Amino acid sequence: MTNIMFALSPLLVVALGSLLLMLAEAFGAKSAAHGRQEHDGTAGLALIAAIVCLAGGAAAAGVWMFGLDHVEGIGAVAPWLIIDRFSLFFDGILCLGGALAALLAGGYLREHRLERGEFYALILLTTLGAMILASAGDLLTVFLGLETMSLGAYAMTAFRRSSARSAEGALKYFLLGSFAAALLLYGFALLYGATGHTDLAGIGASLRGGVRSAMVIMALVLVLVGLLFKVSAVPFHMWTPDAYEGAPTPATTYMAVAVKAGGFAMMLRVLMTAFGDPQSMSWSSGWPPVLAAVSVVTMTVANLIAGRQDSVKRMLAYSSIAHAGYILLGVVTMIRQPTMGGASVLFYLLTYTVSTAGAFGALILCGSHGKEAVSYEDLAGIGKRHPAAALPFSLFLLSLAGIPPTAGFFGKWFLFRAAIDGGFYWLAGIALVNSGIGAYYYLRVLVYMYMREPAAGAPVAVPMRSGYVSAALLLSAILVIALGLAPSGSLEVAISAATGFAG
Amino acid sequence: MSTAHDTAPSPTLTPRRFHLGSSQLLALFAFAAAVVLAGLWSPTAVAVVVAAGFAAAIPRADQGYGARTRVVLAVMAALIALFVIRFWPAAATDAIDTTPPPPESPALLSWLIGLPIAGAIAILFLPRQTPGVLKVTTLGTMIATLGASLLLLQVPMGRGFHFNQDVVWMPRFGIHYHVAVDGISLWLVVLTTFVVPLATFASFGSIETRIKEWCFSLLLLQGAILGAILSLDLFVFYIFWEAMLVPMYLMIGVWGGTNRIKATLKFFLYTFFGSVLMLGAILYLAYSYSRLNNGVPSFDYFELQRVLPPRHVMLWLYGAFTLAFIIKVPMWPLHTWLPDAHTEAPTAGSVILAAVMLKMGTYGYMRFCMGLFPEAAGEWAANLAGVAVLGGILYGALCAMRQDDVKRLVAYSSVAHLGYVMLGLFAATPSSLEGSILQQVNHGVSTGALFLLVGVIYDRRHTRMLEEFGGLAKVMPVYATLFVIVTLASIGVPGTNGFVGEFMIIVGTFVSNKLGHFNGIQAVGAALGVILGAVYMLTVVQKMFFGPITKPENLKLKDVNRREILALAPFIAFIFVIGFFPNIFLSQIHGAATRMENDLEERMSDHPAPKFYVGPMRLLPRRPEATKPVANEPEGGNDNGNAKGSAQ
Repeated sequence: MTNIMFALSPLLVVALGSLLLMLAEAFGAKSAAHGRQEHDGTAGLALIAAIVCLAGGAAAAGVWMFGLDHVEGIGAVAPWLIIDRFSLFFDGILCLGGALAALLAGGYLREHRLERGEFYALILLTTLGAMILASAGDLLTVFLGLETMSLGAYAMTAFRRSSARSAEGALKYFLLGSFAAALLLYGFALLYGATGHTDLAGIGASLRGGVRSAMVIMALVLVLVGLLFKVSAVPFHMWTPDAYEGAPTPATTYMAVAVKAGGFAMMLRVLMTAFGDPQSMSWSSGWPPVLAAVSVVTMTVANLIAGRQDSVKRMLAYSSIAHAGYILLGVVTMIRQPTMGGASVLFYLLTYTVSTAGAFGALILCGSHGKEAVSYEDLAGIGKRHPAAALPFSLFLLSLAGIPPTAGFFGKWFLFRAAIDGGFYWLAGIALVNSGIGAYYYLRVLVYMYMREPAAGAPVAVPMRSGYVSAALLLSAILVIALGLAPSGSLEVAISAATGFAG
Repeated sequence: MSTAHDTAPSPTLTPRRFHLGSSQLLALFAFAAAVVLAGLWSPTAVAVVVAAGFAAAIPRADQGYGARTRVVLAVMAALIALFVIRFWPAAATDAIDTTPPPPESPALLSWLIGLPIAGAIAILFLPRQTPGVLKVTTLGTMIATLGASLLLLQVPMGRGFHFNQDVVWMPRFGIHYHVAVDGISLWLVVLTTFVVPLATFASFGSIETRIKEWCFSLLLLQGAILGAILSLDLFVFYIFWEAMLVPMYLMIGVWGGTNRIKATLKFFLYTFFGSVLMLGAILYLAYSYSRLNNGVPSFDYFELQRVLPPRHVMLWLYGAFTLAFIIKVPMWPLHTWLPDAHTEAPTAGSVILAAVMLKMGTYGYMRFCMGLFPEAAGEWAANLAGVAVLGGILYGALCAMRQDDVKRLVAYSSVAHLGYVMLGLFAATPSSLEGSILQQVNHGVSTGALFLLVGVIYDRRHTRMLEEFGGLAKVMPVYATLFVIVTLASIGVPGTNGFVGEFMIIVGTFVSNKLGHFNGIQAVGAALGVILGAVYMLTVVQKMFFGPITKPENLKLKDVNRREILALAPFIAFIFVIGFFPNIFLSQIHGAATRMENDLEERMSDHPAPKFYVGPMRLLPRRPEATKPVANEPEGGNDNGNAKGSAQ
């Protein structure tokens, strides 16, 4: 029994941490009533949340290092939670994203007078949901994880109660999200009806065994729609810009990073395990062509719209949609290159996580005292006035654009390489052209930061001073550069995670 | 060197007319004594001392160039004289006969790439309040790089690759850090290390804001350019190729003119689009290789050279590479980013862009398009040569004629000049290839100098419109002289560098068998372009420098100052050095150009009748010169730590 506890330790650490954090917040609130200690109280929670997340990540790394083969009784929770290298890798990404978002929140909430400790508890619970999602091997746990993750995300989006935009974004997100969850659930129900199984492996086995009916096709369509909604692929992306723009920026960071990664973990699990039979995976009668088309449409539409935004935050929202399109290309690649395609998706998610968290973090850093830097105009001339804020921002944007030697370049490189190795030349070509289009809007931020002066009389952004935000940026910057200079090691890790998963 | 110091007459004592005062007499005696002393030592020293003495005596005293200017000029002249004597081919062959060539240090190229990048990182940690320290660090790093690059010249290049360093980087993907230099890249390396410090030195006179970022961009740019020229692994090449874009993007966008943002975005997006398609082609090529090679991948140039794809695949791959390179060159109709970028860029940015970065396009075409896809290059040579002559040489020249902004005019003249280089590559005869490589250097020297000169007048008048000037020869005689010299070099008058390259290209084109039936017409078209070049450049000279002074603002203009003359002098010197002693340069180029031509002929003769390969994709045997890097591999592995240290 101890062994299974050890294998589950990443989940348990985050779960326990979130409970303790809620208690700490409840008891800490009392002293907050006495006055100025409040700041330290909630900001301290940010540190605790980040440490809990990092501890969860460290636990995942520890289990990985120890070797899953040596853990006995790992199958005790098997159909519901599958602890394998794939889920441990995702635990790492999700915990990293959670820690970065918590650190960013530590600076942001104080600066914009939103300091309420629930936010950190929500981050931890949402991370827990995403981690459950990444390990889920049964339709029930998939749905459980999904809802745990989503509810937290809805609440975080609505966190700025006084703002109409925040409420609008949250309501949109909530309604459409519930709708998608309902579709997914309907698909799951049909799937259960057709195969008689709720565990993904069992569904996969019976589909492989020849069960094939209109019900399965319907289920596949419904599940696909639900999954694509969760990763905000075009045409199910309508909620994304509003939710991302309305939410407080740390919540946006979290949604763009961890919720998206959780969505992709679910997608890979469901598609590869439940719909992994040759017929469903074939180009002529399965999900790959649908996903390929969605991928092309997603990256093209998102890139074109992103170029026309006036708000950097909204631009980054569309950019995250575009990146979902690239990752979908990697998912399609997995039908011919299971290991390398899977590894490239995992590695891309890692590089995307650090670059996006960094970019949002730099945007957070550029605002202070209730005035957020949101539009391009707000950032005009900041490279001259505050080079320490502009330099990391540039680094993360270059990484998102895929300019070497940053992490983003290698993410794209391995993804496109896997696509070309898999014979998807046209898809790779379209993705390459798209990354060229993408460069335009990332560079526009650089243009404003370094080459424009603010208009006379326009409010200028004043960066905040926050050790938490600086720490988050430093961590992301180190990872972006390290993954850009020496990607081999982490790629090997991704490959072995994908090997365990696909094989 | 002390002689030179003594020769310098003090400006206050010297009247306008020729007059020998006591100090001048003393200087003359000292100079004579130095010559005699040098004669006792070796004949080489005499030439060096005489050159230094003349250089010190040349500047006109009434323009106010002090003793320091004269000393630096004398040092430059001495070094250049030493360079000519040392590398004169006859002397070089003697040296080979008697002594074996010096050992090649495999880490030298990594130093060349690593020094500027390390300097750039060091700049980040220096305080921005001390511009002097920043400037000295930048120039010091660049001079060290220049010194290191001169070590390359000790080795006769011949046909092969030298200073080979091959370190495994990412073994799973067959990615190596592989750098080497041959006759094609040698002079581009030296050109880069030579032009960048001069442009930087000149820019310190006009760039006054954000010195820290400026120094950082310059060093990073130099490191990336050197890396792109030297790398022989396509992956590493691509990384450096992309890394070049960002500093130049910042240089135009931050320190540029009024329309800089549009220009810099145009520059970036044009180039980036070309290169992402090239990335796709690189990935496909490496994938094909690993499929043919039992799953063992490689991005090495020599290994990928062995892949022989069928015609339709090769044309796609060739197309993707060629698009990336002809955007960079740039060739019509993809040249439109260039005039904008040049017009808006600061002087140093223009100099580096024209002198070095555009060469990456021509170099890339030569190394990668012709080296990896010879059949496709041969098939398209005739058509593309037509584009080079009509769209580049002739259309570029006609566009240049109609410009009233001098900088824009020089930018269009670049389109025309690089048309020659591309024509030489398409013609692919030994003479035209050698001419092309030399012309890349020539264009770097003469256009770099032209942009510096335009920068000089722009700093004084803040306009570059031709109608604003006239009669400048009377107020700025030194400037006018230098401008005319560079103009003549740009036109290609015999005795200057431009003549040698253009002549070899035109002759090579005339005898080429790669251009279908049009080689004669194309040679004639190229020759016509020389005349057009004379028309537009001499029009500029006439409008700017001669005739009456029409604008009162021009009456009070100051002639070139110390900084400017020091930055320009090496360019002027090399115009004549290449013009009179082209063999110094050609002897190093010859072997590589011949190898290139032989390889092309060999590949083409394998399938004579349809002139391209039909059949399944296959792997050719290794080439003789390709075996060298592979054999060196374990040796390169020993240098692992060393290379990492300098490459990062």
